[in-house]
Amino acid sequence: MELSYHEKLALIALKELNGKAKFEELVERSKLDQVAVMRAVLWLQSKGLTKLHEREKRVVKLTEIGEKYSKIGLPERRALKLLVEKGKASLDDLKDVLSEDEIKPIIGVLRKEGWANIRKEEGKLILEVTEKGRKALGEERPIDKVLQILADKEEVEVDEIERLISLNELKRRKIAEEEQKSEREVELTEEGLKLVEKGLELKEEVSYLTPELITSGKWREVEFKRYNIKAPVKVIYPGKKQPYRAFLDKIRRKLIEMGFIEMTVDSLIETQFWNFDALFQPQNHPARDWTDTYQLKYPKYGMLPNEKLVEKVKASHESGWITGSRGWGYKWDPRLAMQLMPRAHGTALSARQLAKGTQIPGKYFAIQRVFRPDVLDRTHLIEFNQVEGFVIGEDLNFKHLLGILKRFAVEVAGAKKVKFLPDYYPFTEPSVQMSAYHKELGWVEFGGAGVFREEMTKPLGIDVPVIAWGIGIDRLAMFKLGIDDIRYLFSYDLRWLREAKILW
Amino acid sequence: MPKFEVSKDDLEKLVGKTFSVEEWEDLFLYAKCELDDVWDYEGKIYFKADAKDTNRPDLWSAEGIARQVKWALGLAKGLPKYEIEKSDIVVYVDEKLKDIRPYGVYAIVEGLELDEEALKQLIQLQEKVALTFGRKRKEVAIGTFDFDKLKPPFYYKAVEPEKIKFVPLNYDVEMTANEILEKHEKGLEYGHLIKGKSYYPLLVDSEENVLSMPPVINSETHGKVTEETRSVFIDITGYNLDKIMLALNVLVTALAERGGKIKSVKVVYKDFEIETPDLTPKEFEVDLSYIKKLSGLELTDEQIKELLERMFYEVELINGKAKLKYPAFRDDIMHARDVLEDVLIAYGYNEIKPEEPELAVQGKGDDFVEFENAIRELMIGFGLQEIITFNLTNKENLFARMNIEEEPVVEIENPISLNWSTLRNWLLPSLMEFLSKNTHEEYPQKIFEVGKATLIDETKETKTISESKLAIAIAHPRVTFTEVKEILESFMRHLEYEYELKEINHGSFIPGRAGKIIVNDKEIGVIGEIHPQVLENWGIEMPVAAFEIFLRPLYKPST
Repeated sequence: MELSYHEKLALIALKELNGKAKFEELVERSKLDQVAVMRAVLWLQSKGLTKLHEREKRVVKLTEIGEKYSKIGLPERRALKLLVEKGKASLDDLKDVLSEDEIKPIIGVLRKEGWANIRKEEGKLILEVTEKGRKALGEERPIDKVLQILADKEEVEVDEIERLISLNELKRRKIAEEEQKSEREVELTEEGLKLVEKGLELKEEVSYLTPELITSGKWREVEFKRYNIKAPVKVIYPGKKQPYRAFLDKIRRKLIEMGFIEMTVDSLIETQFWNFDALFQPQNHPARDWTDTYQLKYPKYGMLPNEKLVEKVKASHESGWITGSRGWGYKWDPRLAMQLMPRAHGTALSARQLAKGTQIPGKYFAIQRVFRPDVLDRTHLIEFNQVEGFVIGEDLNFKHLLGILKRFAVEVAGAKKVKFLPDYYPFTEPSVQMSAYHKELGWVEFGGAGVFREEMTKPLGIDVPVIAWGIGIDRLAMFKLGIDDIRYLFSYDLRWLREAKILW
Repeated sequence: MPKFEVSKDDLEKLVGKTFSVEEWEDLFLYAKCELDDVWDYEGKIYFKADAKDTNRPDLWSAEGIARQVKWALGLAKGLPKYEIEKSDIVVYVDEKLKDIRPYGVYAIVEGLELDEEALKQLIQLQEKVALTFGRKRKEVAIGTFDFDKLKPPFYYKAVEPEKIKFVPLNYDVEMTANEILEKHEKGLEYGHLIKGKSYYPLLVDSEENVLSMPPVINSETHGKVTEETRSVFIDITGYNLDKIMLALNVLVTALAERGGKIKSVKVVYKDFEIETPDLTPKEFEVDLSYIKKLSGLELTDEQIKELLERMFYEVELINGKAKLKYPAFRDDIMHARDVLEDVLIAYGYNEIKPEEPELAVQGKGDDFVEFENAIRELMIGFGLQEIITFNLTNKENLFARMNIEEEPVVEIENPISLNWSTLRNWLLPSLMEFLSKNTHEEYPQKIFEVGKATLIDETKETKTISESKLAIAIAHPRVTFTEVKEILESFMRHLEYEYELKEINHGSFIPGRAGKIIVNDKEIGVIGEIHPQVLENWGIEMPVAAFEIFLRPLYKPST
């Protein structure tokens, strides 16, 4: 049987105490502290090696006054001593050995014991020692004996005291008081006895494994103190990824796995040209209204790209250019296209990438911070991350568009079912909205897509179909992060960040 | 975008067939609408529809949805036919309106029996068309009147504001034009469209009764439409004749779906006359091979014809081409793509089997993003918590609170809130803001962000550049310069850079405990103990040490 060092010590001590001892005796004998013995005894009991008995008892203890008397003597003893020395004494003389409040009651005691006579002399009370008093100096009364016992033992059982003196007498004189106590007794079981008799190997117990113990090899001779491995510990906080970032990182990895190339851009600021015009969004489109689009006070205007491209975009807007479209039929204003704004959607990046040139076939994506003039509240953000991109290829068609969207739903949202709805974007036709069925959220609007209009792609130099897509990730992120307030995606709450579970 | 309400009973009366709510959910898709909400009111079922296409106002009413559903289900096919009878009614348009609100178009629809639902639809359609398609009445403002109460001919004229006085809708007293602009609910909402002009547009009848002051308000006393109205006179004004003609076509054909008879009105301008409405079908031609290829569906010419007939087209197949006629209430066919979408919607998006394209391409993450990710991992290894904060902030946070002089920074002209009126040009203010919001949270607090700081750069196309930066901040009672320098030192060693610190005076840091971080003779960051004035400004009662550094100069392509 596995026994700790302390358990072994306790067993041995108990054996030496004839197999049965009061807890206090065991503490003394084992030379361990109380807590250690108690822990050892409890473990031993659970292993069936000892038994712990408990009984209630009444004990007597000295009061504070009693303690004092045990040191300086009972008041009558002190008075007697003085009387024997002087033969007689006035009450004033007694003040040398007694305190003010002790004097009065002591007269009664001396008289009752027959230790002194009391008479009046010149109007003062005089005490004169008797023969009995002189003899009493060397004698011991029960109360003296009891005081001595209590001073020696601290606490004594009531029965023992009452054999000598009435407990009431002690209580009346406020020398001692009674207390209810439980007494613990430890007994070796038969099994425990056998074990000790077989002999126990005692090893020193240590709390910590130190480098010295390792290098000296002394670790072989010691036992390690057993821990309570269930004891509570302090809460600590690791450094962690921000949970929303962890979520976005995962989507990014997925997209790369799915064959998409990442697009980036060097500014959060965009010209209206790339944000709107290059996407064939007419200059009077409602989305370009003051209330729906941020504009910059400083810097106000950016630069347009090369003139040829601008001319084509202009022509496409005004009359459709060679795209096969009739265009929007208005006069395109380059000044408006130069206005700067914080980028409002990731599609601006797709337009830039198409103009720069792409692999054909090719798949591209961006996770990009975008800005919308909204009031920040639990369902709206003022800036957020958009996941957008495109797929370009000679033979792409509408079925492929649905196929790509469905793959996103399966890969990113873990959806099993999807449905498609007609939708509208100024830069795609046909356009689709996809809803994905999430087992906890129900049908969730998950993504939008479409085939870029030729009025958009042709001016950028692209003559093959381009499927543009965007996936709405906020609701999914909120679900994964277990939040119902969208602001937590950009949490300023350190407690929440510290407690947030990790994502993988 | 526009959302509108329709009653299920009314829709079914118009279609002539009943359906379950689930069936309606799918039927709405033919009309490019999403069924947004369904509810029951006094035993009747109502739908809220979310119309997706901002260029299809013909689909924004019960009449429009019902018409599309009838065609999509094959209960009718090809071009919808509407008779127009000429009336002898004339509207004279004042040339002084040229620079104010130049055009008006008009029509009469007779023989109506408008129940409560029909009246609701008429008002709702007017509102939605004027709001979304008409850009909040700027480009399209619509008035409807009880024709039998009016005294033709009509005059659309420019009148000096002081001379205008009439009882506006929902009032019982006469008001002047300017009183309307200042007090009437609609005046406050739309008054800005005419305010300050020397003349206001006014529609009056032959007895000088004011019918309307477009685009703001109609008259309460003359020609209000009620359930008793049998003939409706429609007035639409704006700047672009094509646009208001389309709106008129949407309205008259919607009323015709309820059995109304359309009568045209002669509109006399100084230099020309037109008869409105004009419901002559429009024409377009598409290559069938284009439709077949891009749809990915195996369709025959006949099938395409049949699908298009369900979307209001009259189709003539000639040599692999389709000559199309489409109704005058639509004006969204700019390109063959638009026809393609109609084919697909008629086919049903959910009837098409999704197919993943097989493209031989390989994915690739941007290498600089990978670099940023590696740095974030390193910071997490130092026990720092990553945070993500907003780029939008304000000058107070960027400069005053950081105890430094203002610098040029990107500013928003039309911020929603002044709190979010600039883009940050450095990250530490965001970290300080974060710490200021967590003063009751257990210390030590150790945070970092890899984010963007947007700087002015005149050489760039957008006059700005958003630089990737790393910032860290550590707050606890015994934090010192040394603690953050240890991290900086380790960071540099892991990137294999030698760096040098040069003491600086920087308002955000304690003098003598701040330095520029220099790599390859270029200053790329700052480090130091945050100045107690800055801490006080942010309400932070704990010492903070921090550094901020540009990442681009440290980037080397991965090998």
